[in-house]
Formats: sequence, C-alpha cells, structure tokens
Amino acid sequence: MAKKLMKGSEAIGEAAVQAGCKLFYGYPITPQNEIPEYMSHRLPQVGGTFVQAESEVSASNMLYGAAGSGERVMTSSSSPGISLMAEAISYMAGSELPAVIVNIMRAGPGLGGILPGQADYFQATKGGGHGDYHLLVLAPWSVQEAADLVQDGFDLADHYRNPVMILGDGLIGQMMEPVEFHQDRKPIKEPKEKTWAATGYDGSRPRAIINSLFLDPATLEKHNHKLQAKYAEMVRDEIRYKTYGTEKKYDLLIVAYGTVARVCSTAMEDLEAEEVRTAMIRPVSLYPFPYAAVRAAADKADAVLVVELSAGQMIEDVQLALQGTKPIHFHGRMGGMLASPEEVMEKVREIKSGKSQEVCHV
Amino acid sequence: MPELRVVGQAPFRKRVTVFVGHFGSGKTEIALNYALNAAGQGAKVSLVDLDVVKPYFRSRAARAILDHAGIELIAPTGEHHHADLPILVPAIRDSFRDKSRRVILDCGGDDTGARALGAISDVVPEDESERILVLNFRRPFTQDAEEAERMIQGIAAVGRMGITGLISNTHLMRETTPEIVMEGYELARETAERTGIPLVAVTVDEGTAATLDGTRFEPPVMVLRRIVHPPFEQSQRTRTDGPLFVLN
Repeated sequence: MAKKLMKGSEAIGEAAVQAGCKLFYGYPITPQNEIPEYMSHRLPQVGGTFVQAESEVSASNMLYGAAGSGERVMTSSSSPGISLMAEAISYMAGSELPAVIVNIMRAGPGLGGILPGQADYFQATKGGGHGDYHLLVLAPWSVQEAADLVQDGFDLADHYRNPVMILGDGLIGQMMEPVEFHQDRKPIKEPKEKTWAATGYDGSRPRAIINSLFLDPATLEKHNHKLQAKYAEMVRDEIRYKTYGTEKKYDLLIVAYGTVARVCSTAMEDLEAEEVRTAMIRPVSLYPFPYAAVRAAADKADAVLVVELSAGQMIEDVQLALQGTKPIHFHGRMGGMLASPEEVMEKVREIKSGKSQEVCHV
Repeated sequence: MPELRVVGQAPFRKRVTVFVGHFGSGKTEIALNYALNAAGQGAKVSLVDLDVVKPYFRSRAARAILDHAGIELIAPTGEHHHADLPILVPAIRDSFRDKSRRVILDCGGDDTGARALGAISDVVPEDESERILVLNFRRPFTQDAEEAERMIQGIAAVGRMGITGLISNTHLMRETTPEIVMEGYELARETAERTGIPLVAVTVDEGTAATLDGTRFEPPVMVLRRIVHPPFEQSQRTRTDGPLFVLN
C-alpha cells in the first residue's frame, strides 16, 4: 500500500482496522475526535460497527461487554474522558478482557484545556481505576509509530487478555506525517483460540462467564495472584525503549517519551554543534517501565534530565531506576504549553554550569 | 533544466479567495503562503480563519508572523483563540466591505468545515470571489478523481457556493518526490475534466521544486515555503529559514 499522509488520529483508526478491530465505542472529545470520526466512516466498510455512546461511561461499558465476545474492540478518548472510563477499565482488567484504549492526552486537571499534555502518566501506569491491576501502556512519538503500536497493541491485548493503552499527547492525534501499512504484517504474538469468549452456550464446552466479582476471599486472592503473574510476564517480555546517542560518550542523559522526545532530539542535534555531549533514552512501554535500561544508560552519564509535559510524573520511575545513583534534573511544561528545543538546550547548559537545581529525592 | 514558473498571485485573480477542501489537504499552508506573498507585494490583506473543525495548526496560530507582515488576522481572540468552538466573529462579515483589501478565507476541512462558509455565504460577493478547492491525493479519503468529485459536490452544497478552481497539492511532506507530485497532478487533471472546474495551480515545496521540470505543468506552479511546523522542528537551524508556526 502506497504511503499516505495521515493525521495521527486517522492512522490510529486505520491501524485498528488493519489489525482486525470490528467494534468501536466512543464519545467525542478534543483533541481525538478524528479517531471516532474515522472509525464511523471506515468500520461499516469492513463489516464492523461504530457506536457513538451517550457518554464515556457507557462507551467504556459497551467496550467491556463487546470485549467479552472475543472480537477485537477499541475505544479512544482524551484525558477527562479516560477518567470517566476508569471503572470499566478496572472491570476489564479484573475480567481479563482484551481491548485497546487510546488516550490522546490534553492538559488537565479537570476539563483543563484542549492543547497537548502528558499529565495522565500516573493514571495510565499506576492505576486510574481501583484494584491491583495494570494496563500495558505504549507511548508513540510519531504517526507511524502510533499506527504500529496500535497493531501490536491488539496482539498484546489478546495474548495477555488485558487492556492495552496507547498513550499519546495531543500532538500525536493532530499532526500529519507519512504512514505506511504493510499488508503482510505478522502478529507479534501467536494468536490463541479464545475459549474464554462468551459467544453463546451450546453445551459443547463449559459456560464462558465474564466476571470480576469473587465473593470468596480466597478465590479472589488466587485470582489476584493470577493477574500478578501476568504482569510479571509483561515486565519480563514487553519492555520497549529506544536509545539515541548512547553508543558514544556523553555527559548528560535525557529521559523523555512521546513527542517531547522529538523536541529533545532536535535540541540534541543543536547541542552537538556546541559540543555538549548528550544522549537520550525514550521509554516506549511506560508499563512495564524500562528501569534497567534507564539505569544502564544513566551509568555512563554525570547527570540525568527528565523532560515532560507535566509537573513531573515519569520522574518517579526514573528515581526508582536510578536509586539515587545520579543527580536528576527536570524540565516540565503544563497547561498545554509545549517544551521547545531552545528551553531544553538552556536547561542542559544550566546543568553543565551547575546552575540547575537537582530534583529532591522523595 | 528550465526554471519553474514561480507564481505568487497569478493563480488567484479575485479580491476574495476562499480555500476549501478535504481535512488536511493543505488549505492553511496555501492560504498563509498566499497571504504573505500578496502582502509582500504591497497588497492590503485580511486573512480570515474560518476553521471550526480542527483544534490545532489553524492559521490563527500564525498570528505573530501575520502581524509582522502587516496582515490583518480575523479570528477569535483571547482565550477563544484556543477554543474548538464554532465561533464566527462579527468582523468576518465586515471584512468584505473594504474593497481595497484582498480577503483570504481559510475554511475548515470537509463539508463539515465548509458549513462555516455556508453561514456567511450571503455576504461573500459571488462575482468578486473565487472558491478554490485544494486536493492532496495522498490523503486517505481522496485517493482518486471519483472520490475527489464526491467531496467537491459535498463542499459546494454545504458551503452554498460553487467551486471555481482546483489546486493540485499532492505531497507527502518531507518524503515528497517528483513522481508523487506528477501522480497527483494527473489525478487533479482528471478531476478537472470530470467536474469541468479548471485546475488553477500546482503546488510544490521548495525542496521538490528544484528537481521538477516546470514546463510539464499546464497551470502556474506555486512554490510553497512550509510554514506549518510541529514544535519539535523548531530549532536554531530552521529558525534561520524564516518565521515558524508553532502552538505556543
């Protein structure tokens, strides 16, 4: 298929269709409206169904129900909408249902604004809903990577029988870049038969019951241990990250994800001209977080700089990775303001000259 | 290789120029280039941001560049500058009165975006305006002349004004090749033939322009300077190329 010029939102929609997604439930919210719009146009062409629900609460519960059928299902929203979906997301994790949930983050808290943000990191990686569960969280930095991660996300969701979240900032949803879809793409996980799917009882196999309610505490604890074993498997097998310039000598390591990492990458190119040696590690899987890789990359540096469109959330995972071995500095923007390459360069210069204050350890 | 006919204002002949087209087809980029070009040649220019569809990358975000060039930007102000609300400021209706000004309207995408044009179509002077539809055949929902024709009909109906010209703007951003431009040009010609609407210009970006034989195009060629950049492309290096258009 020839390369197309696509908005991130359109590429996410098309990637879902290519991955065999047949059912989409959503409710509009800026800056991701183009995802439901694309799906409303595209799903009927492939025999699928698009439903615009009356709220995010119902969209996510429709997703929960439909996921129980074993079909590939998706929803998308932006920050405040994801908060409304938290209950159903926890139910899906508890009921071990695969689904892909896209969060195109905007600035918060509350209704916040419609410009990009990254302040849903905690919500995505540390909970959001109640109970001991995790989403597998993948964060793209380009339109092409968004498309690729959505396709991988469906394979991973099926494999682990767990919701997968694609976490993009507002720019990922709105910017346009060339995208290619490969017709001969192979699943990244061996497809398994969905014997658990509730598709109607005909007596030929045990009843498939979708459930997250376990009144017997011993049974519920056993169920939790089963879920924890899956998360341990994710931690073992699904860590994804990319490194930039780590093969050379460097004084400072930048840690950033999403489009912010591209801002940092532009800054790094410009810093090279000033002979300031920097490298970057970009977590792609935010859960599971690449603790060991961040630690290894930081070992070669004198200091670490975390850049985020938030007050500093991923920084806590970086602290866990480094265990106090290196000084950590932070540059963040909020409210929908974006970090610029100049700002990152200025921060790097401040760190070099000892003018930047290290982040306090908690 | 013969030099390209670099044309700024030649494709647009009327006092009022309206850009419509599919979502993401390049209306804002062309409107900004045209506005800056016309202002550079001494014209008094008003640019109307009629985009009520997309939340980012609208022409209003280029306010600083436009101010600097002496172009009047007509768009919601204050915090509504950032809103994704269907706001049509009263100044839009007034903008057509001053006949000494060139008025450029940048509509939102698709027939949805053209609805804003429909709402003010009673004051857009039919004879003194041209309604230009921008085509990029590398966009997902306009892949051939048939799909383009359907879109033209939809936009004309909702915008309540006929389309008077087409622009071939097929590109893949930095991955654009001369072949991609030519392939889009052929499809745009086919669309012009099907619809009877003339193809008034072909656009190429500065980089691709150098590798193209300009004599292969019948209509004038507009060499576009890319103004709409995402913020991560804003570096010291690119800054020397001219003003940048970023969100914050």
